[in-house]
Amino acid sequence: MIELIIFYVFAAVLIFAATMVITARNPVHSALFLVLAFFNSGVLWLLAQAEFLGIAVVLVYVGAVMVLFLFVVMMLDINVAPLREGFARYLPVGVLVGAAMLLEMLLVLGSGELSAVGLAGGASEALGGVGTAQSNTALIGNVLYTIYVYPFEVAAVVLMLAIIAAIMLTLRRRSGTKHQDIAKQVHTRKAERLRVVRMNPEKRD
Amino acid sequence: MAEILELVWILAKIVVLLVPLLIAVAYMTYAERKVIGWIQLRRGPNRVGAYGLLQPFADALKLMLKEIVLPLNANRGLFVIAPMLSIMPALAAWAVLPVGQGLVIADVNAGLLYVLAMASLGVYGVIVAGWASNSKYALLGALRAGAQVVSYEIAMGFALVGVLMASGSLNISEIVEAQAGPIWNWFWLPLLPLFIVYWISGVAETNRLPFDVAEGESEIVAGFHVEYSGMAFAVFFLAEYANMILISGLAAIMFLGGWYSPFHGLPVLGPIFDLVPGMIWFCLKVAFFLFCYIWFRGTFPRYRYDQIMRLGWKVLIPVTVVWLVVESVFILTGFGPWF
Amino acid sequence: MLELSHYLVLGAILFSLGVAGIFLNRKNALILLMSIELILLAVNFNFIAFSSALGDIHGQVFVFFILTVAAAESAIGLAILVVLFRNRDTINVGDLDSMKG
Repeated sequence: MIELIIFYVFAAVLIFAATMVITARNPVHSALFLVLAFFNSGVLWLLAQAEFLGIAVVLVYVGAVMVLFLFVVMMLDINVAPLREGFARYLPVGVLVGAAMLLEMLLVLGSGELSAVGLAGGASEALGGVGTAQSNTALIGNVLYTIYVYPFEVAAVVLMLAIIAAIMLTLRRRSGTKHQDIAKQVHTRKAERLRVVRMNPEKRD
Repeated sequence: MAEILELVWILAKIVVLLVPLLIAVAYMTYAERKVIGWIQLRRGPNRVGAYGLLQPFADALKLMLKEIVLPLNANRGLFVIAPMLSIMPALAAWAVLPVGQGLVIADVNAGLLYVLAMASLGVYGVIVAGWASNSKYALLGALRAGAQVVSYEIAMGFALVGVLMASGSLNISEIVEAQAGPIWNWFWLPLLPLFIVYWISGVAETNRLPFDVAEGESEIVAGFHVEYSGMAFAVFFLAEYANMILISGLAAIMFLGGWYSPFHGLPVLGPIFDLVPGMIWFCLKVAFFLFCYIWFRGTFPRYRYDQIMRLGWKVLIPVTVVWLVVESVFILTGFGPWF
Repeated sequence: MLELSHYLVLGAILFSLGVAGIFLNRKNALILLMSIELILLAVNFNFIAFSSALGDIHGQVFVFFILTVAAAESAIGLAILVVLFRNRDTINVGDLDSMKG
C-alpha cells in the first residue's frame, strides 16, 4: 500500500517535471526540471528493486551530466525569444503526435497480456532484494564483468572518446592570457633578470 | 498499524540523529572562531555566556531577526530554494552512516553509493544560488565552485573505490567491520595515498580554505551567496559546516575504523579501551578531522584557481588510479594483515 | 501492489512527452538534447520494469549501457553546441543553413 502511494506521488512529480522540461520558457528552468525528473526516476527505480541503477542515475546524471547542462545553459548568453517563435504554431502538432504515440502504446499495454503481472513477483532473489544473499550491485557486477565484459570495455572506450572529443572541440588557445610556465620560471638565470647599474655619487653643494 | 509504528520509529531515529548533529553544526562555528583565535593569539568569542558558549545562539538570533533581501530581478523561487538545496544533501547522507555498532538509521547494501550520490547533489545549491541571484559576482563564484566540486568529486570517488575494494562491500557497516582491530589495521595505512587524496578532495569539496575560491572574499566579495542575507545566508553557512562534519564523518568511517578504539583486539589494552562506547571513539575521530579543517584555515594561503584545477586533475586523479592498481596487486597476493 | 503496467504506462507517458518536446522546441538545440534525454529515460524505465517483473538482472545491465552512451552523447552534444555558439552566436537550429544547396 505504502509502495503504491510512493509510486503515485513520485510518478506525478516526474510527469509534471517532464512536462515543464519541454514547455518552460527559460532553458535554465528546463534543465532544473530535468534534474528533478532524473531524481524522481532514481527513486522509482529503487522501488522496482534496481538499487544500483537508482542511485547511479542520481550520481551520474544529477551529479555530473546535468551540471554540465546547467553550465552550458548559464554560460551561453542565449536570446530566448527567437527560439520560442514556433512554439504556439507547433503546439497542436506536438500534442497530437505525442497523444497519438501515447494512445498507441497504451493500446498495446491494454491488450490484456500484461495487466496483472506483479513487479518482482517472487523474483526478489535474482535481483538482490532486501534480505537476499547477494546485493543488487554484486549481481550486476557478476554479469557485467563476465558475460558483458566486451560491451563494458566498449562502453569505457565510448566514454573516453566523449571526453577527448568534448575537450578537443571546446579547447581554444587565446592570445594574451598570462599562463604560468614553471619550467621557464625555474630556468631563469640571474643575468636575465638583474642588471647592476653603476651610479656615481652626485656632487653636493 | 504496524506500518505506521515503523514510520514513527524511523522518524524518532532521524530526530535522535539530527538534533545532536545540528547542535554540533552550531558549535562548530564557535569552535572555529575559538581555535582560529588561539592560532592567532586572540581570545575568540568570550562575551555571551561563560567562555562565549552561547555565541552560536546569539548569532542565530541575530540572523533570524534580519530581513531577507530579494535582489531586483532575482529568480524568486530558485533564490529561496537554493539554501535548502545546499543543506539537504549534507543532512540526508547521514541516513546510512553508522555512528556506533548497529547505530544507523538505514543499513542499506549500497550505502557508499548513496553517500556519493548525496555528496554530488550538494553542488546544486551553489549553482542555483549563483544563478538566481542575478549578480555577476554570484554567478562567477557559483561557476568556480561548481567546476571545482565536480572535479574533486572524481578524485574523492576514486579514493572511496579503493576503500570498497579493500573491504569488498558497499555496505558502510561492513566497511567498518572489515577494519576491526588496532590502529594499524585500519585502512589509512594500506591506503595511505588514497586517504591523503580523499582528505584533500574533501577539503576542496566543501569549498574550505585553502580551496575557497568559490567564496574568495578578497576577490569576488563572497561568491555565490553575496546577495543572501538573514536566515537564508545562515542556512548556507550551516550547510558548509554540515558538509564539513559529513566529510569528516566519512573519513573516520572509511579510513579510521569508525567506532573501533585504536587498541581494539590487543591483549590488555583492548578490553580496557573497549569499555568506552564506540560512539565516543567515532566522535573523537570526527572531532580530529574537524580540527584539521580549522587548522588548515589558520595555516595555508589560498590556492589560485588554475592551481586548484591542476592539483585535482593532474595530481590527485593519477595518484588514485595508480594506487588502485597497486592495491589490486595487494589483494591478489594477500599482502599484509589487510587483504 | 505495484504492477508491471504501472511502470510501462509511466514509460509510455515519458516517451510521448519527449517526442512532443522535440516537436515543440524544434528551434532550441538545448531543449532538443533534453528531450532526447527524456526519451532515453523512458526506455530505461521499460528495461527496469521488465527486469524486475521477470527477475532477470540482464535488463539492468542494458540500462547501465544506455546511461553510459547517453552521458557520452550529451557531453559531445553540449561541446558541439558551445562551439556552435562561439562561431555563429546562436543555437537556433533554423539559423544553421550555411550548407543549404
